[in-house]
Amino acid sequence: MQPHTITRRNLLAVGSLAIAASSCSRRVAPPRATVSILRQPAYDQTIYDTVRRLLALHKLDVRGKRVLLKPNLVEFDSCTTINTHPMLVHAALEAFRELGASVRIAEGPGHRRITLDLADAAGYFHTIPSFEDLFTDLNLDDVAMVRLRRPASKLRKLYLPHTALGADLLVSMPKMKTHHWVGATLSMKNFFGLVPGGVYGWPKNVLHWAGINESIADLHQVFPRTFAIVDGVDGMEGNGPIQGTPKHAGVLVAGRNLPAVDATCCRIMGIDPSKIGYLRLSAPPDALAEAGILQTGESVRSVRTNFQLLPEFQSFRWNGS
Amino acid sequence: MTVARETLDALQNPDGGWPYHRGSSWTEPTVFALLALACQANLSSQAADQAAGWLETMQRADGGFAPRMGVDESTWVTALVLLLPRRVLARLNADAALRWILSETGRESGWLQRMRVAMLSGQVNRGGFEGWPWFPETAAWVAPTSFAILALGEARKRDPRREIDERTRSGQEFLMSRMCADGGWNHGSSKALGYDGPSYPETTGLALLALRDLKNEPRLTRSLERAAWHLETCQSSEAASWLQLGLLAHGRTITRSNSPKRSAGVQQIALQMILEHALDGGGVFGS
Repeated sequence: MQPHTITRRNLLAVGSLAIAASSCSRRVAPPRATVSILRQPAYDQTIYDTVRRLLALHKLDVRGKRVLLKPNLVEFDSCTTINTHPMLVHAALEAFRELGASVRIAEGPGHRRITLDLADAAGYFHTIPSFEDLFTDLNLDDVAMVRLRRPASKLRKLYLPHTALGADLLVSMPKMKTHHWVGATLSMKNFFGLVPGGVYGWPKNVLHWAGINESIADLHQVFPRTFAIVDGVDGMEGNGPIQGTPKHAGVLVAGRNLPAVDATCCRIMGIDPSKIGYLRLSAPPDALAEAGILQTGESVRSVRTNFQLLPEFQSFRWNGS
Repeated sequence: MTVARETLDALQNPDGGWPYHRGSSWTEPTVFALLALACQANLSSQAADQAAGWLETMQRADGGFAPRMGVDESTWVTALVLLLPRRVLARLNADAALRWILSETGRESGWLQRMRVAMLSGQVNRGGFEGWPWFPETAAWVAPTSFAILALGEARKRDPRREIDERTRSGQEFLMSRMCADGGWNHGSSKALGYDGPSYPETTGLALLALRDLKNEPRLTRSLERAAWHLETCQSSEAASWLQLGLLAHGRTITRSNSPKRSAGVQQIALQMILEHALDGGGVFGS
């Protein structure tokens, strides 16, 4: 098993970036990340068109590419709002296929290790034809060791699944939920499901001891080719991510830049993104500010619906527009 | 069971180990496949030799076992290895594995962590029940603690020592202390931020199996009721297998009912075979 090493192509790319950066005498603001918000009132047939429109807004070129959809599967439950809705995952599967991608679905649940039974109970087998053939249990996938460069956490290396490391585009598809440790769980926190339980166990406690916010930031660095589609049709408020209560927000939120997507979701939920530790670690304040994000589709103001916060998180309430 | 046995035979990798579903060999499914074949008296010497050879390569210098090739850490799977039949275990350094198990404990049990918690919360943890983690330097959880208790039960037969008895008792008390309000067990956080967490069927079954020496423990009455309830309602045949093994270990009568709903992995096939053996009155996991 070889650790991931720097390839000549990567080295050239990094070198070019360094030369470009050093040749600039003035500091140039990075381009604003685009984040799209589209209304989706319910899990019905219209979700297929909404997802197509989201992908079109971002002009994703995935023809011939390996796209990996990473939903959030947590519990044996099709009735509450714990898991990413299977219809949204099916809609993304079809939309990426129409764009010419080879698509798989993968997840490594953090608490329950009977993944296929869990997916069945969450409605995935019923909704997605040939689901078992399309699905990889990331907890039990082959792994490679990845050394972390300048980690924010105490981790120096992580074993990560081949299926995720080999994807040309990793699509994070979380549920929009509050989280009783970090405030909100969205597209970045969803990457905890990439860490293999077969190596680290259930839960993936090594990430907790290394620092949850810091580990989220580290995982974000390991996977740079990403896109996010957040399931905010029905989210979860209060004591999320498992024991909270359903909260209807009626939106899908998408974009290539995961911190920007999560910052936008936070504002929709009435949470100040600057209070979320992993966002602070992953992007400069300018990039998370409203002015730093190019918003398309609906405005945050038009869809904002405050999610109930646990008493410990009342100071996270966003008082912006 | 013939089909299950043939499926297991077919899934053994050329290197001697078994995968979870397909692909590379892992320690956990390899141990479960060997246990299943052994308890059905179908473990051929060739399969056992090949598997033992592969497991030898998984044992690390510290005595513990890695979960698979390429992972440079000994983990909870070391406890599973100690459950293997003696003829397989004879090829491995079981004493070193036992020492590794006895040296492992949840990080929350360490003096440094206890002092830190005491300083931050003003509360001194005098309980000190020591469970086992999945991965070194992390907290103890229900499943790895359960497997470690089962492993120590086997080790005690070969090497009766006070140290083994003490760790077993401490592990049992750890499980009792992590029981959920409903009487069952989840992964090990019975409460989060003061809220009760619900139990899971698979960990409830496994914990009951690990607590089989405490058959008349009054605190387990509710647990057995919860396990029976889970068995009525659970949506996973693998979880149902653990529940049935747990209930059988406490003398409850079980009817044969569950069969995997879909193409099962090595773990699920093996567990089903082990359960069948238990339903026929055979001993499992060293009992």
